[in-house]
Amino acid sequence: MINIYIILTTSTNLLVGMTNLLSLGQAALYGIGAYLAVLALMALHLSLLPTLIFVILGTSLLSLLVAYPSLRLRGDYFVLATLGFQLIVFTILYNWVSVTKGPYGIPGIPSLVLFGDIIISGIIPYLILSSIFAIGVIIIFYKLIHSPFGRALKAVRDDELSAQAIGRNVTALKIWAFVVSSGFIGISGLLYASYVSYIDPTSFNLDEAIFILSAVIIGGTGNIKGPIVGAVFVVVLPELLRFVGLPDSVAANLRQIIYGLMIIILMRLRPQGLAGEYALK
Amino acid sequence: MFLQFMINGIIIGSIYSLVSLGFALVYNTTRIFHLAYAVLYMFCPYIILTFYSNLGYPLIIAFIIAIIITILLSLILEIIIYRPLSKKGSSDNIIMISSIGIMIVVINIVAMLYGNETKILNQNISETLTFGSIIITYTQLAQFLISSFLLVVFLMFLKFSKFGIKTRAMRDDTILCSVFGSDIYKMRIALFTLSAIFAAVGGGLVAYDVGMDPYVGMPMLLNAVVALIIGGIGRFEAPILGGFIIGILQSLSVWAFSARWQDAVTFTLLILFLMFRPQGLLGEKRRTV
Repeated sequence: MINIYIILTTSTNLLVGMTNLLSLGQAALYGIGAYLAVLALMALHLSLLPTLIFVILGTSLLSLLVAYPSLRLRGDYFVLATLGFQLIVFTILYNWVSVTKGPYGIPGIPSLVLFGDIIISGIIPYLILSSIFAIGVIIIFYKLIHSPFGRALKAVRDDELSAQAIGRNVTALKIWAFVVSSGFIGISGLLYASYVSYIDPTSFNLDEAIFILSAVIIGGTGNIKGPIVGAVFVVVLPELLRFVGLPDSVAANLRQIIYGLMIIILMRLRPQGLAGEYALK
Repeated sequence: MFLQFMINGIIIGSIYSLVSLGFALVYNTTRIFHLAYAVLYMFCPYIILTFYSNLGYPLIIAFIIAIIITILLSLILEIIIYRPLSKKGSSDNIIMISSIGIMIVVINIVAMLYGNETKILNQNISETLTFGSIIITYTQLAQFLISSFLLVVFLMFLKFSKFGIKTRAMRDDTILCSVFGSDIYKMRIALFTLSAIFAAVGGGLVAYDVGMDPYVGMPMLLNAVVALIIGGIGRFEAPILGGFIIGILQSLSVWAFSARWQDAVTFTLLILFLMFRPQGLLGEKRRTV
């Protein structure tokens, strides 16, 4: 799970940390990735590599539908547009029963097939696979941040008008950032679906979107380490609380309270998060 | 049947208007995207539950106590969280994220104290009034009358009182307002108080009808925000108009499709408005949105 969340938070960081766009639609993209993966695996019987390509392309294309209208808006309005997208996707996943099986979910998702007949199943192979993906995504984002594209994004983030003045197409850059980040979020959807082997829409609701965003914010924005710290933190904290020996019902609420308090305190004292370098504005 | 759904829509629309107006009071004047407002809406019915069902006070008294406690919560949030951030000059995004943090904390505290399951305030089935083919419960009637009354009183107040004039001044230009010697933070106290009243009354009225759980605030807040966007940010009549539109539209979408697609209809409307008329129906055009 840590690896899945690292991919999620690292990709979200491209939006929040690099472009100063708060998106509350990340869980919808995560869900779209998962459902597309199921489509590829169960209806088309693809092996790993084609599935991966299918999911990345599919999620990116669908995200374009959101990116294009919403990125012309700023600040609160952008957040609202992504929130609307999140709720619409959730409603569709939940109610289009003939395709998504709605609230019943889709059980029995087959394991991933690497080339020929090498099947990845069991915990250890998944750990290795997801680690490879997570490390791959981190390396790609590291390169991306230090590429001309990354620097242009930073310029847009820090001063949109100046970036525009030296001839950057601000909206196009933002759309690219959104689409790239969505494509990678698709990967985490794929990993989640095949790892848990059962998906239903409630894994991709608004709470999940808020959760992803708060993981990024707690960890920190603008660099590579921040999102990793955030992902590790939000996944490890529940295990720690279990270790302390609280009953499950209290622990779930207490965990949320800790996240909430951390967000409030961090926003007051350290808006760049635990390990980030860019303070939100 | 159409008429029945229309009436239901108007009744729920009056609640949306009320809640949306409370949100607008804070958002229009201070630019705080007050997501924690959802918590106030959810918090009030739980206090009513404590005083009415557990301690046995009469309903009206319990309601009034709950409103007062909700106001206190709202003021605590303003004083402890928002005011220092705004004095520090934090950006809108930071304030909004803090608000998400507050929301998470309060929802989970309530869930720990009262449990996650749905609670009801009114054990009896409400009696009904019948006009021809239209059926209205007494609870619905109360919802409509109380919220319309508050809306009308507020609009009069806004128009004619000194406070109303100051509120409108603050909406138009906060800095200029403080230059002319109004104490902005005193104004904010008043605004947070009023908005808490609207949230608490809305929350209490709805919970008396259908019960509540710790997560009821968010969907209501979203409807309120959509109502505000559709109506337009700026004028205080706008969220009221938006609230009624959303209420009627949702009710009619239940009539035309089914209850499951209500949210999709609402948020498609939101996105259409954001794309084509971001200033809303009654808003003034601004260069950047």
